[in-house]
Amino acid sequence: MFDRLPLPSQFDRTIVAGGTVAGLAGGPILVVLLGLMIAGTISVAEMVFYLAAAVVLAGALGAVLIKNIVHASLALIATLLGVAGIYLLLLTEFLALVQILVYGGGVIILLLFALMMTNAQDDPIVQDGTQKPFAFGVAALIGGVFIAALLDAQWGSPTAAVVPFRDFGMRLFRDFSVPVIIVAILLDIAFTGAFVNARRAEAEDGEGRS
Amino acid sequence: MIPIENFLVLAALLFAIGFYGVLARRSAILILMSVELMLAAVAINFIAFATYMDHDAFSGLIFALFVITVAAAEVGLALGVVLRLFRERRTANVDAANSLKW
Amino acid sequence: MGMEQAWVLPAIPAVLFAVIAFFNALIPRRGDWIAILGMAAVVGLVFVLMVDFQSAFHDGHFEPNGSNAFAFDWINIGQGFFVIEFSTYVDAITMVMLPVVTIVALMVMVYSVGYMHGEVRYGWYFALLSLFVAAMLTLVVSGNLILLYLAWEGVGLASYLLIGFYWERQSAAEAAKKAFVTTRIGDVGLLIGIILLWRATGTFDIQEIIAAATSGQIDETYLTVAMLFLFGGAVGKSAQFPLHVWLPDAMEGPTPVSALIHAATMVVAGVYLVARFSPVYAEILIARDVILYTGLITAIMAATMGLVSTDIKRVLAYSTVSQLGFMFVALGVGAVGAAMFHLFTHAFFKALLFLGSGSVIHATHQQEVGALGGLRKKLPITTVTFIIGSLALAGIPIFAGFFSKDEILHYVQADGGPIPYVLLAGTALLTAIYSTRLVLLTFFGEPKDHHAYDHAHESGPAMAIPLIILAGLATVAGFFVFDQVGEALGFVGGIGQLVYIDHPHPFTQLDYAFAGIATLTALAGIGIGVAYWRGDAQRAVQARQWAPDLHALFVNRYYMDDLYQGIIDRVILGAATVVAWFDKRIVNETGVDGGAQTISYLGYRLKFLQTGRIPNYALGMALGVLVLAVVAVGARG
Repeated sequence: MFDRLPLPSQFDRTIVAGGTVAGLAGGPILVVLLGLMIAGTISVAEMVFYLAAAVVLAGALGAVLIKNIVHASLALIATLLGVAGIYLLLLTEFLALVQILVYGGGVIILLLFALMMTNAQDDPIVQDGTQKPFAFGVAALIGGVFIAALLDAQWGSPTAAVVPFRDFGMRLFRDFSVPVIIVAILLDIAFTGAFVNARRAEAEDGEGRS
Repeated sequence: MIPIENFLVLAALLFAIGFYGVLARRSAILILMSVELMLAAVAINFIAFATYMDHDAFSGLIFALFVITVAAAEVGLALGVVLRLFRERRTANVDAANSLKW
Repeated sequence: MGMEQAWVLPAIPAVLFAVIAFFNALIPRRGDWIAILGMAAVVGLVFVLMVDFQSAFHDGHFEPNGSNAFAFDWINIGQGFFVIEFSTYVDAITMVMLPVVTIVALMVMVYSVGYMHGEVRYGWYFALLSLFVAAMLTLVVSGNLILLYLAWEGVGLASYLLIGFYWERQSAAEAAKKAFVTTRIGDVGLLIGIILLWRATGTFDIQEIIAAATSGQIDETYLTVAMLFLFGGAVGKSAQFPLHVWLPDAMEGPTPVSALIHAATMVVAGVYLVARFSPVYAEILIARDVILYTGLITAIMAATMGLVSTDIKRVLAYSTVSQLGFMFVALGVGAVGAAMFHLFTHAFFKALLFLGSGSVIHATHQQEVGALGGLRKKLPITTVTFIIGSLALAGIPIFAGFFSKDEILHYVQADGGPIPYVLLAGTALLTAIYSTRLVLLTFFGEPKDHHAYDHAHESGPAMAIPLIILAGLATVAGFFVFDQVGEALGFVGGIGQLVYIDHPHPFTQLDYAFAGIATLTALAGIGIGVAYWRGDAQRAVQARQWAPDLHALFVNRYYMDDLYQGIIDRVILGAATVVAWFDKRIVNETGVDGGAQTISYLGYRLKFLQTGRIPNYALGMALGVLVLAVVAVGARG
């Protein structure tokens, strides 16, 4: 239906549509949540959680549904930042920081670079695979099974506890020092491999031309 | 206090959405992004269990850190492969890489 | 060396076979000297063994049915249910066989140095001779039926390889095949007999089987059948009627091989086998009659065929078959000693005759008697030794064959009745006639092929010396039967004493009247031969005109080869066609190919599951995860 809206060319149709949907849906949700909070049914923390969860899920849905590949990756940024918020709600500030730094900084930049180096600029619209209906069924079933299973389980009523930076650091670099080193080596190898892989391709191209 | 189920359900939904993306998408980059969603879901689960049920050791946090690290490495490597694929086939669609069939 | 070490005898040539077969290219002279030296060592050991045996026998240490055996369990299944021992057994019969095998083998090897000089596969030839000797000695010293059967097939293999030694020649390859297949028919009988005996007694040990059979533990009919099957093996190996057809064709092999394998040693394995089981055969009248008449028919048929054959080696081959018939007749009347004695003498003079014919062939490159003649001037040594061999074969006194043949005739007359005696005496007459004919046509008269005659010359000492030694043995071997000779040599008695351990049979003097008849028969045969042929080839043609039908019958070998060929063509090949059709259509095309094509078709259909698309594989994986999740949840709930 957005196709028929009269839009000046400097506006991206999808972004406008997404913003419109977010505004139309998000407003009432926000109102309901605030009402519940004021009424005392849910705590402030829960309300923040629901908001963050809404951002995460909306961003995730955008990432997997939007046809424009650049827009899909922008939606992914929203999800990753929302996840960082979830980490904060789980009382782990350190991991939230890492999430923002690694994902919001490194991974997304990498993804966008990859998009730019492929033909995403010329042809940003991608067609989905032919097995989309099956994919939906299977994903829904898996999600359903997981949710049914975890709601069925008896969790008791555990409470969260803050993990101090100091304890976390001691544990990470004292008890887990060897895995940390191994992961460091893994990272090193992976990026060296990626570099070599891409570079060799360039070298082959060069040979092909000459 | 937020019940733990909230986090777990959120992670399950995020995982299912990521799974759908992996199965339904055709562009290698988008599939990679979907994988990131699934990894994020797993990390949420790790952290939730660590802070709620493992006050003394919180091993889940360490694992979540490793998941993030490995995910970053995976993205770097996979994008190299995608670039390679793009150079070979002039497209980033995984359908193009189907020479390993009957 | 004692009797317990008898296993050393076959071990030496077996090692030599391996060494020469694999390394002959590295050894000077292709290793012939190793084979000969090894063989000489074995001959020496045999004499040591003989002294040990005689002294043990003299001191009473030797128990006829006791265990002087070297033995260990080769296979043992089910704690004694199925035991195959590797065992040796040495007794008097063995002691007759051992010198025969080893001395003739040594002579033949020395002779081969000259005869095979410059031939292809010279080293391989000596390797095969060693293999044969190893198998033959194993056969002789074996105390166990399975080991005996193994060696039995071993000599068959060596025989096959040596008959087909010149396999580039179509006829040699076919003769080898014929020999192998024909003897195989008998060997199957032997195997059936062995299995039947094992079933009844639970053992493969020959002495235990004999003890069980003679003590009446086995049902008589069952035992008769088993022993007849056993005799079937002897019929095949010893070329007796109706399986005699392979031996004349076996002459395609090198002549020294014919002397060793197809005259002196391997073909007497059947005689040895029956003699070994003689205590059992002695109690089965039906089997004895079967042996007697098989031998008789064979002796007569082969002698008549030898009378008309024009190939010098084939005449000798028929003669061998005929003489083997003599031995079986002796076994049939229970005269084991006489049979073994004839085996002993026959080995020497028949080996001599074959080596002599080899000398003729070597000199002239002819083996048709029609192309020979007058060679006595060119080949004096060969002529003299050949005549000695022929006289021994004909049965002229003082030569070896006379004594042994006389022994056989004596026992046949005494125990076999008048008809076998008359027929056998007639065969002896025929023997004298054909051996005279062979000598006359080869060495006397006028040369017919002048080209061959002119180039003929006596061969070197390697061939002459074995001829002379064997001629000496063919002359004196008969005297060993006399107790006086044996005692003079330090033994307890003669051959008769050796063989008749159970029933000592002193042999001190001849029955002069009986021997006179035999001598007259032989002289008459020679007289007929000389009177008729006198070295004149035209006489052979006249014989053909005199009784054309009979002549045709003999020349065509009683049409038995044609009969077998007809059976093979019609019955066996007909059945084979049906089987081949079944195999091709049902087994191969429907069963094997059909199954393969079904799988192939399924694979063709199923391969399209492999789309090569990553999302499809991911979907499959997701379904697997889903199933696992459902199972996990269900298991918990």
